[in-house]
Amino acid sequence: MKISMSLFGTAAAMALLAGQAQADVSIMYADWLADLVEPGIEAYEQATGETVDAIKLPGEGYVERVALDLASGTAADVIQMDSFVVSELASAGYTMNLNDALAGWDQYPSYMSGLTEVVSYDGGVYALPTDTDVRMLWYSVPVMEKAGIALPWEPKSWDDILDAARQIQEKTGIEDAFLLPVGTKRGEATTMQGFYMALLGADVPEAGRNRLRDWDAGKWVGDSPAIRRTLELYKTIYIDEKLGTQATNYATDVDSTIRQGLREGTMGIVASGSWENSCIWDCSGGSELSQSERDGMVNWSEWPGSGLEGTMETTNISGGWAIGLNENASDKDAAFGLLTTIFDQGNFEDWTVTNGRMAVRTDISGGDAYQSDPFLARATPLAANTTGRDTFPGYQIVSALVQQMTADILEGLSVDEAVEEYHAALVDEFGEDNVITYE
Amino acid sequence: MDERPSRSLALALCFVAVIWVSPFAWLLSNAFDTSAVGILRLPQDPGVGNFGRALSGSSGLQMWNSLVIAFGTATLTVAVAAGAAYPLSRIRIPGRDAMLWGLVLLRMMPSTGLMIPIFFSAQKTGLLNHLGVILALSILNLPFALLLLKNFFDTVPIELEEAAHVEGASLFQIVGRIVLPLSRPGLAVVWFFTFTTAWNEFLLPLLFSRAESGFPMSVGLYAAFGQQGAIDYGFLAAYSILYAAPAIAVYFLLRRNMNTGFAGVGVKG
Amino acid sequence: MSLRNDTKPWLSGGFGLVILASIPAVLFVGALIFFTVWVVTFSFTDLSLVGAKSVNWSWIGFDNYERLFTRRGFMESLWVTVSFTFFSAIVGQSLLGFLLASVMRALRGPLRGFIEVAIMLGWLLPDIVAAFLWSATTAENGLINSVVLGPLGFDSVNFLNEFAFPVVVVANVWKGTAWSYLLFSAALDSVPRDVIEAAQVDGATWWQRTRRVTLPMIKSHIGTNTLFITIWTFTYFPLVYAMTGGGPGRQTKVLSIFMYEQSFKIGKLGYGSAISVAMLLVVGLLAVFYVRLLKEPE
Repeated sequence: MKISMSLFGTAAAMALLAGQAQADVSIMYADWLADLVEPGIEAYEQATGETVDAIKLPGEGYVERVALDLASGTAADVIQMDSFVVSELASAGYTMNLNDALAGWDQYPSYMSGLTEVVSYDGGVYALPTDTDVRMLWYSVPVMEKAGIALPWEPKSWDDILDAARQIQEKTGIEDAFLLPVGTKRGEATTMQGFYMALLGADVPEAGRNRLRDWDAGKWVGDSPAIRRTLELYKTIYIDEKLGTQATNYATDVDSTIRQGLREGTMGIVASGSWENSCIWDCSGGSELSQSERDGMVNWSEWPGSGLEGTMETTNISGGWAIGLNENASDKDAAFGLLTTIFDQGNFEDWTVTNGRMAVRTDISGGDAYQSDPFLARATPLAANTTGRDTFPGYQIVSALVQQMTADILEGLSVDEAVEEYHAALVDEFGEDNVITYE
Repeated sequence: MDERPSRSLALALCFVAVIWVSPFAWLLSNAFDTSAVGILRLPQDPGVGNFGRALSGSSGLQMWNSLVIAFGTATLTVAVAAGAAYPLSRIRIPGRDAMLWGLVLLRMMPSTGLMIPIFFSAQKTGLLNHLGVILALSILNLPFALLLLKNFFDTVPIELEEAAHVEGASLFQIVGRIVLPLSRPGLAVVWFFTFTTAWNEFLLPLLFSRAESGFPMSVGLYAAFGQQGAIDYGFLAAYSILYAAPAIAVYFLLRRNMNTGFAGVGVKG
Repeated sequence: MSLRNDTKPWLSGGFGLVILASIPAVLFVGALIFFTVWVVTFSFTDLSLVGAKSVNWSWIGFDNYERLFTRRGFMESLWVTVSFTFFSAIVGQSLLGFLLASVMRALRGPLRGFIEVAIMLGWLLPDIVAAFLWSATTAENGLINSVVLGPLGFDSVNFLNEFAFPVVVVANVWKGTAWSYLLFSAALDSVPRDVIEAAQVDGATWWQRTRRVTLPMIKSHIGTNTLFITIWTFTYFPLVYAMTGGGPGRQTKVLSIFMYEQSFKIGKLGYGSAISVAMLLVVGLLAVFYVRLLKEPE
């Protein structure tokens, strides 16, 4: 007993030591966003003389931690979040409506309006986006050359992609000729970089025909020809013709595996996003390769539509991260002050350009630094015709069910069976009234 | 019984051991390669730079936090379990065995499933700190510890206690001078098991620590994954070695005690 | 009071101390029961982790339990978990642990120390690192392909692609055998030497000695070990999750991963809780089965 008593004493003392000093405003963010957040914190402390309690968390477990902290009222005042949870958190009343505060911030008008929609819920803006992104097909240039495919490669339909993949396998023996993100391990990558990019081009762009949500009817799409065609595409790639390996999508570290594959020319075509231009070489922007050197090794083309009549020629969908405020922040003005300091033009522009991110503000995208970056100059036009993620409360569940649906195909289920499972799970969650079927 | 190992047996064992340690080749080759990329190869740029990086920053504090959590959990669990296991071993309470098994049954729920109630309880009681982590882990480990220790106390000969009682020793003296010293191996096994469980725990300290300075090494390891998607393999490997080292040291300190301790683990058939 | 009459006199003398020493354990057990009841309660709701249903949840009766059977996922994962537990814990760790312990009894000196350390290293290594270690070892450019298959003239194999389930089983055997080894080597040490020597004099072979003499004497240890590693493996999560995330498809999606995905990735806490409760019931049945087996008359 004596031992345990003194142990209680030590542990309690330790806990006190580890606890925070009284701070005026607190922030929680994932470690990979440190380059944007930390200079902002420093500037805020210098400008106001207040102290910021910063909690930098590992990316692993970040979403769980934020959810539990918000639910129990222990979250920080300023919180980084994936843009798709913004509407969920807002609908639960966890995050603050920023409309009034933003009206008084002179830099707010330069945010592109299409991009603030992603972080809006019910007419209110609930967070500010850190960046946006576009999605494309990355390919290894030496592999394409070896396969005898004309460069620059510009596929016009799904068949063009599949033909290229077949040719790559035939001429080079590379197993991962075309990697379309699939399955549950890849999480949002499966939904955004994989399923949705194909879905958008799988049918005519009318209401919910090529979407997961029919925004006009206000319902989730439980079954549609586009969903079925997209699943058929997965089936062709991973089951019927084995143009890519399943296991690559379940590797211990999928992203590094794929980037290494592209860098070293052991993979052909990979569906991913605009961040890869830096991440294939070094995510933090530390690569010394010039843009033309990179393009000589790994290049990209836009995602074509399926090629069916009336479908889009190219498709795109955008996501990104955001920073919002806790509804229960003790000092809301201070929290908003920290938010705007982080997003102050100078700091925000530095981070955006160094990391090769797509700008969310016209004052940054119009700046010299951004304009003179050859990659950003080439990729930014893609954002003009992009589709926003279906950020409506419930999206997180729908997205996870989509990932499961693609995994069902890998398991050997037929397209019919997989869609049936998906439809049933949607009805479980949202009720028959909120699910629509397209014939 | 003089059963010297034959040459072939020794060879076979060596073979098993080599296979067993061979996966570590990856760990070592990456830890000592300052330009490691996560594949198995001879170090391109041999050096100890990765260890330098792993030791810089807050890894010292993180190791201290890990020690506090693991040491605290193991000690608290053993103290609490021993307090109840001794009476359970010596007093015939009706339904005692059923009760113990019932307790172990409770632990067949995955601990991640219990995370939400644990988190909210800790938050309500102001225990979102190291003490809370220690208490939560002790609660989760108690059923195993209780069952193991009770079985162990069963093997301590009761005659010694009777003799001491006849000579006028109090309960406190009997437990302190006879039962606990004789049970040292059993206590060591349970302590070590709880220690390693707590040493490897990731989710609880991640959710409970209110400040970065409270994170243990299990969380600090993820700094290797800091940049989205680009893993710092050299750091990861070096940090892993530093992370595993204290637990291995503790094993060696306790090894002599534990070898006999495991014998007391069996339940009575 | 009959309880006191039965009790050893030194205990009844210090009854106050006995009660006092038991209080913390009672409180801890109470907390554990409280948490479990909480999870059972969740399982009858549609509570979610984020979003509106995290605040405005409702009671949905047995819907979550019904979906365990009517929706894909649970039954598939249950089967994966049972095979994973059987092959990696009962066959792998337990049998290998026993064999190693039994062979190594005869061994002293540095070789034994080396092997013990080798076995313990797996146990002590953090799960996430063990996952990387095994992925790297079984990769196409990994140890097995470059040191074994390559030199023998075989094509290199992407083991996680072709044999995901066996690979995670082997990795878990590697990671967990230490516990069974330590337990069995201690148990074997407790078998009196004269008993074995007597059998040896009778001319019994190693197998006969093991079957007739050793195994019956350490029966209780085998029982405890089997039960413990069954529980641990059944609910084990980090290693497999880090190696394969449960895939490809559902090939390695054990129940704990399925539960974690439903609760935290998808955010259906209610459904996740129902999975937890179902796991408790399933392992509970297994445990009752074991205990019955143990208590069988000789």
